[in-house]
Amino acid sequence: MEDHEEQEVEFWRRLDEEGISRSQMLKRSVAAAAGLTVLSGPAAALASRRAAAAAPPLKGTAANMNALVAAAKKEGHLNVIALPPDWANYGQIISTFSKKYGIPITSDNPDGSSAQENQAIVSLKGDPRAPDVVDVGPSFAVLGTTQGLYAKYFVRNFAAVPRAMKDTRGWWTGDYWGSITIGYNASLVKTPPKSFADLLKPEYKNQVALNGSPLTSNSAVAGVFAAALANGGSLSDVSPGIDWFAKCKSVGNFIPVQTTPQTVASGQTPISIDWDYNNFAYVKEFPAANWKVVLPSDGQYGGYYCQAINATAPHPNAARLWEEFIYSDQGQILYLKGYAHPARFADIVARKAIPKAVASSFPSSWLNARPKFASLGQITTGKALINSQWPAKVGA
Amino acid sequence: MGEVKKQRIAPSAVVWLLLGAAYFLIPLVATLLFSLRNANTGRCCSLSAYGVIVHDPEFWSTIKLSFRLALETIVVGLLLFVPTIYWVHLRLPRMRPVVGFMALVPFVIPPIILVVGLLKFFKDTLHAPFWFLGKPDLFLVGAYVILAFPYIYFSLDAGFRAIDVQTLTEASQNLGASWRTTLGRVILPNIRVAALSGAFLTLAIVMGEFTIASLSAFHTFPTYLQQINQDKAYPAAAATLLSFGITWLAMLSILLIGRRGGQRTVRVGIGR
Amino acid sequence: MAWLGVVPFFAYACMFLILPAAVVMVGAFNSDHGGFTTSNVTAILRTANLRDAFWASIKLSAITAIAGGLFGLLIAYAAIRKGTPSWVRSAFGTFSGVAANFGGIPLAFAFIATIGTIGIVTQFIDNAFGVNIYQHGFAIWSPRGVEIVYLYFQIPLMILVIAPAIDGLRAEWSEASSNLGASRWQYWRHIGIPVLMPSILGTLVLLFGNAFAAYATAYALTSGTGLPLVPILIGNDLSGNVLSNPHEGQALAFGMFVVLAAMMIFYIPLQRRASRWAK
Repeated sequence: MEDHEEQEVEFWRRLDEEGISRSQMLKRSVAAAAGLTVLSGPAAALASRRAAAAAPPLKGTAANMNALVAAAKKEGHLNVIALPPDWANYGQIISTFSKKYGIPITSDNPDGSSAQENQAIVSLKGDPRAPDVVDVGPSFAVLGTTQGLYAKYFVRNFAAVPRAMKDTRGWWTGDYWGSITIGYNASLVKTPPKSFADLLKPEYKNQVALNGSPLTSNSAVAGVFAAALANGGSLSDVSPGIDWFAKCKSVGNFIPVQTTPQTVASGQTPISIDWDYNNFAYVKEFPAANWKVVLPSDGQYGGYYCQAINATAPHPNAARLWEEFIYSDQGQILYLKGYAHPARFADIVARKAIPKAVASSFPSSWLNARPKFASLGQITTGKALINSQWPAKVGA
Repeated sequence: MGEVKKQRIAPSAVVWLLLGAAYFLIPLVATLLFSLRNANTGRCCSLSAYGVIVHDPEFWSTIKLSFRLALETIVVGLLLFVPTIYWVHLRLPRMRPVVGFMALVPFVIPPIILVVGLLKFFKDTLHAPFWFLGKPDLFLVGAYVILAFPYIYFSLDAGFRAIDVQTLTEASQNLGASWRTTLGRVILPNIRVAALSGAFLTLAIVMGEFTIASLSAFHTFPTYLQQINQDKAYPAAAATLLSFGITWLAMLSILLIGRRGGQRTVRVGIGR
Repeated sequence: MAWLGVVPFFAYACMFLILPAAVVMVGAFNSDHGGFTTSNVTAILRTANLRDAFWASIKLSAITAIAGGLFGLLIAYAAIRKGTPSWVRSAFGTFSGVAANFGGIPLAFAFIATIGTIGIVTQFIDNAFGVNIYQHGFAIWSPRGVEIVYLYFQIPLMILVIAPAIDGLRAEWSEASSNLGASRWQYWRHIGIPVLMPSILGTLVLLFGNAFAAYATAYALTSGTGLPLVPILIGNDLSGNVLSNPHEGQALAFGMFVVLAAMMIFYIPLQRRASRWAK
């Protein structure tokens, strides 16, 4: 995103905040003047309740949950997009939601990118197959907001989501985060790597891979950020990260093969730098690959994804119910089971809401990981730098 | 007709055929070996990967859809292009470079751009109704006919070039045949190979086309295959081989059907 | 009046090809604020990695078109010529039909399993001859590797499209030429190749365009990071997870169009010359 666009976003944000407080004051004064007359007339109350139910709510509250569930069931369907079943346990999240509310879900284009999600909102506008909710990277969440693709919604647990991971105006909310890890095949990789520095050693020749190219894949961008942190760079300067990958390629360790379940299972990519939830998923999926996961000791970087509701969603109430489910304890623990830290992690830990059996199955070093997160501005600068330097230094 | 001498296969032919077969089959064998691996031990041999695919209802629903779309594309494509190319060869030879150029345009517009253009054009410019945009048999087939066009064109063009269109048409018409008879019983049998070749290519294109289907939110077989390949390991290899095998069988069937119908071929002029 | 016969075709082409393509091409000259600009297109000439991508794409497409054309012709002729049993032709023909559209991750993985770092052929060569090709500089994500994989759909395409033309080589000509004392080489030089040349040239252009536009396979092999190719850049611009730059993507598409149009302009006079013998 360009500088001027960022300024624009700031400007609208400030205007909005001002606007809310002004209209809020107005409402308060009118209500005071009307003296709660709305309660005195049952017909008026009924009419206003009906009107509220017809339009999807702006905020989730304990009170209107039943109405929301009923309205969602009436809509009878939910369209999601770009949610691979083995990514952060989305397979189980989708099936649990479907079973719990009896609402069938169509999961479209599971391997789609964030750009394709926003694009689908635009190109399928008005089509009953359009996605109701999207799960996009933060840059695309901001982009979608400025393009007016989303509808505002505050889930019940909105307050418990860290401020850095949500749009305070309600356009999007972070749902889970992950850290960049080094996953490796312990049968093929004799010496377990522990850090980025390790991966430059000659015993890892032709073994180190990323999950895609940093020019297109969010996970790969995060890998570059993590490498930057490990090599004297910072969240504002990822060039050491790019240089590290260039070095890794020149010593013959880095291979430009995208990690997929196939390459992990076959051993083509014995070492993969990827999100923890992806690497941990391989452990269970391919016992034969003897996959192990470590957090790099020299650079820990985290990234989150964002939920947003399509402004022209074909099933707006089902979309909001989906978000309520995801941010509920049940939903957040399902993310955790997929080795993704849910957005409300600090909250559910504090309230001891994680079942002991679940908590003890995780390595505590991972559970208590505190990676560094980049701000939106830093992500934008970093991506621009990668876009201009990566092709020349590492290869297109 | 004199006696047909049964000729032996030329040695150089054997060499090239064997080399070709090796190049094509070895990667498939590698995929096969991978697909037979046991999910737990990572070694041979287990059919569980195939079981996963065969028991997946989405495998069957998407393959049926893709086959249906392929058939529809073949029919529309041949109906549209055979008369056109015949006409161009017969009456408008100066149009040939124009049509030939247009046959290259689908190659120049990668599917990713074509689908964006199609969606923009039909939605924003023409405001096409959803019963058109939402039905794969209409929108997707429309796009696939364009994708198949270059292949069908080059096949048919070579086919028409190989026969003497003017002479055949004139002879047929001098004998009193109508346009329909000429086209159907004189010209078509002579371009049978070319038309079948075009039909094969169309079938394979539709069974392999991913980008347009994916971006217009349809669930065809290639989108299913791509998804399996992203998410799973051994079943992906199994699905790849199954799809290869099924498509190949389908093409063999087209070939057999085509050959059976060819027994009533009328040959005019110099035989082969 | 004769042109009425091609109206249905042109109407269809307009609706589903010309106008949608125009919509996108126009976008190449639009700036973000809606005005006309040539900066997106000229950026291609100014930016090093975009230039490299075009050059790499052109090289890859040319090499695989010529190699695919040559091998495809040899295999097709071997399968079709007299003496070869007809089941061989059917087998190769139908297989080519499927293989010509085999691409993306399945194809990439099939070759990774064959000539990847631990592919079966790689390991066979290592065990049988003690030579590890990866230590000698070969890599499946290098241009050579990608070319080898591309041939998997280039050769079959050539086989399919050249088959009807080979059928057009009448057996009588071969017989007549040998009766008149000509050698095989002379037959090919004076009869065979000239007859086939228009179709060969046309198919070469087809193969070039096919390779140029191939995206899924290249991306799967190199994860978009080993080899700069134009379709990958377009994909990055239009649908990646990182940056969204639709105008650059459309400008690149326009660039592709220019390259292929140039090929076509090169091909038309050649083709006309080659067809001179007929009629």
